[in-house]
Amino acid sequence: MVDAIHLLQAATDSLPAYRDFPVIGSRAAVWIAAEIHLMFAAFVLGVPMFAVVAEAIGIFGKDQRYDRLAKEFTRLLLIAYSATAIWGAVLTFFLATLYPRFFAYLTAIFGVSMWIYVSIFFLESFTLYLYYYGWDRWKYGRAKVGHWGLGILLNLWGTTVMFIADSWLTYMMTPPRDITPDTAPGSIKLWHAILNHTWMPINIHRLIGNVVFGGAIVGAYASYRFLAAKTDEERAHYDWMGYVGNFIAISALIVLPFAGYWLGREIYQYDQSMGITMMGGFMSWLWVIQAFLIAVLFLTGNYYLWVGMGRIPGAERFRPYTKWLLAVLVLGAIVWGTPHTMIADSRELAAMGGSHHPFLGALGVMSAKNTAVNLMILTTFLSFLLYRRANIRPVVPWARTGTLIQGGMFGVAAAIVLFFGIRGYFVEAIVRIGYSVYQVGAVLACIIFVTVIDVLMARGAQSLGAIQWGKMPPRSQYALFILAVTFTWLMGLMGFARSGIRQHWHVWQVLQDTTKYAATPALGQAAIMISICVLIFLSLVGFIFWLGGLAEKSTFVPAGKDGEHVGH
Amino acid sequence: MWGTNLRILGVVLGTLALYTLIANKIPQVQSEVPRALTLGADVTPEQLAQAGEQVFTGIGGCTTCHGLGTRAPNLLTDEKGQGPIGARCGKREPGKDCKAYLYESLTQPRAFVVTGYEPIMPDMTRTLSPQQIWAVIAFLESQGGTITVSASDIPAGNQGGPTPGATPGIAGGSTDPMAIIRGAGCIGCHRVGAEGGAVGPDLTHVGGRLSPAGIREAILLPNAKVTKGFERFAGVMPKVFGEQLTANQFEALVNYLAGRK
Repeated sequence: MVDAIHLLQAATDSLPAYRDFPVIGSRAAVWIAAEIHLMFAAFVLGVPMFAVVAEAIGIFGKDQRYDRLAKEFTRLLLIAYSATAIWGAVLTFFLATLYPRFFAYLTAIFGVSMWIYVSIFFLESFTLYLYYYGWDRWKYGRAKVGHWGLGILLNLWGTTVMFIADSWLTYMMTPPRDITPDTAPGSIKLWHAILNHTWMPINIHRLIGNVVFGGAIVGAYASYRFLAAKTDEERAHYDWMGYVGNFIAISALIVLPFAGYWLGREIYQYDQSMGITMMGGFMSWLWVIQAFLIAVLFLTGNYYLWVGMGRIPGAERFRPYTKWLLAVLVLGAIVWGTPHTMIADSRELAAMGGSHHPFLGALGVMSAKNTAVNLMILTTFLSFLLYRRANIRPVVPWARTGTLIQGGMFGVAAAIVLFFGIRGYFVEAIVRIGYSVYQVGAVLACIIFVTVIDVLMARGAQSLGAIQWGKMPPRSQYALFILAVTFTWLMGLMGFARSGIRQHWHVWQVLQDTTKYAATPALGQAAIMISICVLIFLSLVGFIFWLGGLAEKSTFVPAGKDGEHVGH
Repeated sequence: MWGTNLRILGVVLGTLALYTLIANKIPQVQSEVPRALTLGADVTPEQLAQAGEQVFTGIGGCTTCHGLGTRAPNLLTDEKGQGPIGARCGKREPGKDCKAYLYESLTQPRAFVVTGYEPIMPDMTRTLSPQQIWAVIAFLESQGGTITVSASDIPAGNQGGPTPGATPGIAGGSTDPMAIIRGAGCIGCHRVGAEGGAVGPDLTHVGGRLSPAGIREAILLPNAKVTKGFERFAGVMPKVFGEQLTANQFEALVNYLAGRK
């Protein structure tokens, strides 16, 4: 093994540093290959997580609909899996042929982990085949639980594969500090390189992000099938599937910023100048674009819920509230999108009287932004609660008290968020940063306790009528497409942020990029690249799903014994 | 069905077009690769200022401290009603015009420290060439003042890297540990006895917790191990002392600190 690494090391010295790719150049070629591979990989890693949860609900909740839903998720997975592998191979070949010396450097350090990666990839593939093709064979009793175990195993393999690949890219961002340009790559211990500053934060961030992404793509698939459906039954099934996909995506999205904060903190701790480049340097406007995209996600997700209330008997009680929810979301989005430090030349700076706008500058700071986003999360949760409550009337004797307590919890959480938001203006930065923990804590506590009360209160609740799945206007389905496109675009943008903060380094301050493409492009050019990647990815996904539709009829099942159930 | 497909395509393309358009409408900043500076004899003040701005925002690393408003004075915007640096530089030190003051600030930063700030500014001759230093001065002069730097100020040759002729080592090559500590600006962040700040760990009794090897590592690779409680300042300490100190100075400093138990 050591000899092999030495051979690679020796090969490094005789390799040309770079080759170019015709027409679009080597950077664009690798960018496209890496991004599309990553999008497919996120999908095939995210979907098994909720497929296995759906199967568990089917088994332990004895609800066949969830089992069939899990199988349909897995069918999509099966088809997307080969596309992931193909794009992975394209990326590897591009790196090996266009950036041979850099690739040799990486293989000299991570060669062993690459072999392990391939082995686990094999195991993952065959587990997936067993999981899908064994679905109908191991359908009952202990065999079914064993089948569910295969689903868990599939997730374990997938997560391990991702963790290994993450170590390569996080090493490029944050190589351990004792590694310098003079360190021979063959002398770097594998585990030392893996265990770099951002490895675990990226792992966690991607785990959650994959669930969000998988949910959104499944939602888009369901909406397409809904729009193409020929029968009411089919429409009802895909309406429900779209709802579940959207619910998964939005629920996981609410948790994602916390993993993002952790990653950002680790980047700052590793190298403050890297953190400043990311948040206050040439990338600062990227966060304004991110705020806009997340505002679109919040607004579209809520819109889908509000339109969905049209198919729930009893929901008309809550309709008057939606305009107030919309107002909070729009105001929150405006505040969140306010730039902090303006990129301006000296004349503009002089005209503004500083790098902050005299009025808007007060809204562009962390105190205002954290307050806005926490109130947006609370509002989204309230939307979901109204949706959940729409067709039931609680009958427990403490129902009124419970509702008042829930209202009080919302009020207290909002007050805590506002209090620390305002107080943040009067304290030092280091104290202010700590306030975000209190704000987030208040929101999370509200979500948890209000949900617990709601579940208890819904016991034996009087039904105002079953949800009329399938009775959704087509415009709601286009909202699911906007969500899928926005999630995909956001993923491309954040990938650019993560990769771009290395600037002109392949490996930060260790191995420099000396190609003509070394300068990190401005956001406009990056946005064009991201849009191209998203378009290619969605076109391929559309084609793959269409193929899947040719191969097998939809697996919708009519509502069985739970046809009258009123929950969600 | 074709109508539905076209509508879906419209939604997808429309959404992508909107995001791409917005990202292209905001200010476009590309992160350039640092390049050596070449200035001819006929360089104009505007060209000098333009080159200086690139050094200021790029390889010089000036914006890391100047611009945050807490660590060092803001240079491009008003400071306490005195205007940007070009407007106030000639009034800072009696008897020194703007150009002389800025040159002193960059080459002997501890000669005059603005009230209210710690002496943490490094000697820029160790990282910038004379061309780059004069270009930065021209850029700073242009911020509210008149550019007085001309081609005659700039020595020929050495387009990149440190200024030639700079005295080897810090503090004129002295091996007096406290002279090195003061000269290198350590006390801008670290406390040593009665002197110094609290941005970095207190070095008064550093020998009690670190071995000489540990102290060597902390100076050469300051981010290899970050002291608990100072994580938020990781990355602040420069990694240049291994190059700036002579071997004698380095060992004298390590021995002195290791002896402070």
